[in-house]
Amino acid sequence: MKKTFVVGIILLFAVWGAVTLLHLYDAFFLPNPIEVLTELGKLLFSGALNADIYFTLLRLGEAFALAAIIGIPIGLALGASTKAFDSMEFLVEFLRSIPPISIFPLFMLIFGIDDTSKVAVAAFGAALIIIFNTTHGVMNSKKSRIIAAKLMGATKTQIFKKIIFWESLPQTFIGLRTGLSMALIIIIVTEMFIGTQFGLGRRIIDFQYIYNVKGLFGVIILTGIIGYAINMVFAFVEKRVIHWNGK
Amino acid sequence: MKGKNTITNTKQKKKAITITTLKKEYEGNKIISNISLSINQGDIVAIFGPNGCGKSTLLNILSGIAEKTRGEIKFEEFDNKKFSYVFQNYRESLLPWKNNYENIAFPLKLRGVSEHEKKKKIGEMEEIFSFKGNLKLYPYQLSGGQQQILAFMRALVVEPKLLFIDEPFSALDYENNLLLRKHLQTYYKKYNPTILAITHDIEEAVHLANKIVVLSKKPSKVIEVIENNAPFPREVSFLNSKKFGEIKAKVLEVFLSGARE
Repeated sequence: MKKTFVVGIILLFAVWGAVTLLHLYDAFFLPNPIEVLTELGKLLFSGALNADIYFTLLRLGEAFALAAIIGIPIGLALGASTKAFDSMEFLVEFLRSIPPISIFPLFMLIFGIDDTSKVAVAAFGAALIIIFNTTHGVMNSKKSRIIAAKLMGATKTQIFKKIIFWESLPQTFIGLRTGLSMALIIIIVTEMFIGTQFGLGRRIIDFQYIYNVKGLFGVIILTGIIGYAINMVFAFVEKRVIHWNGK
Repeated sequence: MKGKNTITNTKQKKKAITITTLKKEYEGNKIISNISLSINQGDIVAIFGPNGCGKSTLLNILSGIAEKTRGEIKFEEFDNKKFSYVFQNYRESLLPWKNNYENIAFPLKLRGVSEHEKKKKIGEMEEIFSFKGNLKLYPYQLSGGQQQILAFMRALVVEPKLLFIDEPFSALDYENNLLLRKHLQTYYKKYNPTILAITHDIEEAVHLANKIVVLSKKPSKVIEVIENNAPFPREVSFLNSKKFGEIKAKVLEVFLSGARE
């Protein structure tokens, strides 16, 4: 990241500040940035958001782990077998076309209104992305190393374990990262529904109900920061695991 | 002489590969029109010809990557475990997720060779090729030339009886090119494998090969096989010798006659 990244942020706050200072918009619905950040600071330091952050991250972690555990093996299997791919491609594509959130009401009926349904729908959305990317990672792996291994006398299992799996890993990681973002989106949205006590989505909806617009802005910004931080951590891990990528 | 090979002195040597009237067509294109070739054990055969004449196709057919259309290929005592292939594109044949040591060890690992034996063999390769690169690093952390040497070490660590090389020296500057030729000869003197090498460099061909197969342009056929019986190891001084000059001139003449056709 270039040091000039602050320019964009300063610009956003400058425009936002100018709009509020010049009273160009109703100050109740668009509080000035200093008020918003102060409110966010208060919320954070008082510990009022601790439980919300904890539960959102917990659900996200569970959903992502579940999605990876289900998605990667299915993706590898579909990529490895043309027959399996041919018979499942349409289904995966179709399921991927359904906005995951639209399944949430059904999942609430099936799994109840507690965390299970939230985690299940987020895992569903993320797993499909992981399956799709892993499958294509396997199918598009370069032939040259496979041929080289074959000529060295490698068996089919050896070629899959020692070559194709690794070749597909960069694409699998793209799926994992996209799936993680998707899971966060789904978790936040599902938390806005009935049956949630804690969670950033819950807090956003609550602040809307009680017209705490400053708090509402604050939590939205916090959600963005958390999403960004998760992505950064993931990129850090990714760089170490697939160290050869792009080299 | 055309279309026939001119090998002599082959009777006392054991045959390694016999190719008879090999033909290859691909999607209606004739790539190889007629190749007949007899290769003895311990031969270093340079396959020399214009670009796109099907040199790589020939090696691919021999190694089983590609199918032949017609003709016969006979291997003597051919064993998959005793065969190696050095690809032109080392970048796409080395394994970037494994470090350099594991890359060289990879074919041994596939064969279930013990750690101790691996270490010994890799140490020997390092010595033969005077490899100065760090084996704990990854291939992408080496120079192009070192990566190509790594690919050679990986191919030779299994002591292949038969070695195929596709444009082996293309990634190297001249100095390293000469060094690799020297190291390859050290290996050859020790293990005496049969080597088939594709090259578009006439100097490389004459320097290393005892048989230079000159192919015509596509659809290719053998124009002539030129013998070079200079003893190994052939030092750099060989490149200045009268014999080298004569053979090189002969190869060039045959090559040009093929280009004119």
